[in-house]
Amino acid sequence: MKPSHSVRIALVGCGAISELYYAPALAALRSGSAEVSAVFDPDADRAAKLARLLPGAGVTTDFAEVLGRRPDLAIVASPPRFHAQQTIALLEAGIGVLCEKPMAVTVAEADAMIAAAARSPGPLAIGLFRRFFPVNRTIRDIVRGQHLGVVKRFEISEGGPFQWPAQSPSFFQKSGSHGGVLADPGVHVLIWWFGVPESIRYEDDAMGGLEANCRIELGFPGGIAGTVRLSRDTQLPNRTVIECERGWLRCKAVAADRLELGFPGSDHAFGGELVCVGPAGANSLRPLAADTYDHSFMRQLMNVIAAVRGTESVFIPPAEGAPSVRVIEQCYRQRGLMPMPWLDPAESVRARALAAEGTSP
Amino acid sequence: MKTALMGASGFVGSRMVEMFHLGGAGEVRPIVRSFGALARLARFDLDWRLADAADEAALAKAFEGCETVVHSVYGHFDIVEGSIAPSYRAACRAGVKRMVYLSTASVHGQAPASGTDETSALSDRQPTDYNNRKVRAERLLLGERGRGATEIVIIRPGIVFGPRDRWNSGSANDLLHGTAVLVGGGAGICNTIYVDNLVHAIRLALAAPGADREAFLVGDREAITWADLYHRVAVALGVPPDEIHDVAPPEFRRTLRDRADHIRSHKAAQAVLPYIPGRLKRMAKAALAAWPEQRRGSPWALPGPPAPVVTREMADLHQCPAKLPWEKARRILGYEPPVTLDEGLRRTFGWLAFAGCPTVPAA
Repeated sequence: MKPSHSVRIALVGCGAISELYYAPALAALRSGSAEVSAVFDPDADRAAKLARLLPGAGVTTDFAEVLGRRPDLAIVASPPRFHAQQTIALLEAGIGVLCEKPMAVTVAEADAMIAAAARSPGPLAIGLFRRFFPVNRTIRDIVRGQHLGVVKRFEISEGGPFQWPAQSPSFFQKSGSHGGVLADPGVHVLIWWFGVPESIRYEDDAMGGLEANCRIELGFPGGIAGTVRLSRDTQLPNRTVIECERGWLRCKAVAADRLELGFPGSDHAFGGELVCVGPAGANSLRPLAADTYDHSFMRQLMNVIAAVRGTESVFIPPAEGAPSVRVIEQCYRQRGLMPMPWLDPAESVRARALAAEGTSP
Repeated sequence: MKTALMGASGFVGSRMVEMFHLGGAGEVRPIVRSFGALARLARFDLDWRLADAADEAALAKAFEGCETVVHSVYGHFDIVEGSIAPSYRAACRAGVKRMVYLSTASVHGQAPASGTDETSALSDRQPTDYNNRKVRAERLLLGERGRGATEIVIIRPGIVFGPRDRWNSGSANDLLHGTAVLVGGGAGICNTIYVDNLVHAIRLALAAPGADREAFLVGDREAITWADLYHRVAVALGVPPDEIHDVAPPEFRRTLRDRADHIRSHKAAQAVLPYIPGRLKRMAKAALAAWPEQRRGSPWALPGPPAPVVTREMADLHQCPAKLPWEKARRILGYEPPVTLDEGLRRTFGWLAFAGCPTVPAA
């Protein structure tokens, strides 16, 4: 495809993520760079609603019609259980794909997607857009470069009462979703700065249903250890703290452009907005404000459009998305019940029984 | 007995679901107004229904097959009164035998006089608008009962605390940030009820004979002052109790925002508001939010810790002179609080730790 051609995009799945994120982001793309040619959802009303936000987009409730229209790029934003099936079909038709997170429900599906991407002329990108956050990229550089020495410990918490305007109950039903809070924001925080975990201890509060809270203890190569606490239920501190040999880093869960940096024994720490200095570093004459949350989402979209044109490589290829699917699968395989100290003894016994029933195959 | 629970995703509702489902007290059917409200409930495999608390037809369908309904809806002030007629009429249409309505002891005010009980007159001209709305909601419900067959029981709990409550998580937050404050030394009585005790009272009210059209105050067995309660929370968090601010009861002047809220809540204003363009309403809201209620400090003053904020509600509560009685609930419902205050606090502190609060392990 010539770099000057407008990229034709199909939006597959019209839930809340498409309405609140993809529709405004696609509408904000520079005219002529991309156009939404088709909107698909099995619910005709939802598809029509999204199409109204994206002038010029045709509506279909038949996925085969998406394949037949031969868009250059499809954004797969369906419920996770459809991700692998739809993504593989699109890639086999030669269509590039941006697949929402989590990329797949099982490791086997993720592997099949990676194989399909290797065979396809179209690129496959995974929608882990928080990896575009300037703060996360900066932490990655500091950790991997050991600029504060080796990491000793980390603590990550994210969540609060569920606020997402879900358009269907599939999020909360075992028939519609393979997991609860771990499978949702968990894929963002599991844990690309440190590599692949060597040890995992996992517990959650599912008692015959899907977990609203979970806690994971992770160990990584080099003795890095820490915890991840996630919730759809109670307000958590929502912060990441990474303690290193010579200093510490701290950031808020969704503050894309803010970072705190401190040193042992000092009363004060650096805290504030990141700026983009580019390759000039300290000699940069015109540092730009770093990308915000919304900008990071746009960067992801622009990256995959550029990949379809052949002018950039995909920033988050499927091999980058698969490790979090692997960790989630491992967590669920060895799940235990979180201690819930407010339950009385009889309730605790029943809770353990329900949790065990829910875990058994 | 199958019970439909309106407000199942809230603080009381979610504990009621836990207690019914795990304790085998009966089958509960959560009714929620949005899919998102299922997040907490989805830990269990439950038979839930989607219905707005003001939608009679949807509620009637959701109540089908249930013998009893618990109304525990907490939301925007409009829903306090707006949910009464639809939910009661839906219960009648679905053939529900009894509805238990979760009201509040605050219908008697934040600082009721000694001797207050269920026979005391209620006023809907209190300083706290929420109290007025609950008073009117009770009256509406009693009025509906006169025209319908479903029995009603009204429960009036005091300060409900427990896992996911707003009182302890609020005071814990204030203590950790150095903004916790007691008014007048916090010598007033805190009319607590541990959430399990409240759910126990609700469970009794679903079936007790002779309770139709009656209102019941319910509480814990023990009396505790606000100062003692804050002290206990502070110790659990490892915060020195002497860091709690103590202020004299302030005199409250109504702010511009208070006045605007009052006007907005008036029936006539509610009737007119839909005809005012949204843009104009948003502009007015933004202007009010930006209006400086307090003077700016001197630029020469050194910054200190954030100052505590005393609300009218808090000031009244902290000066409450009376432990509200639950003798009527004992007599008619057979209510005796099964969980002691100490045990309730221990479990609540356990939840605070679960929710990521830096608590100190009990000695």
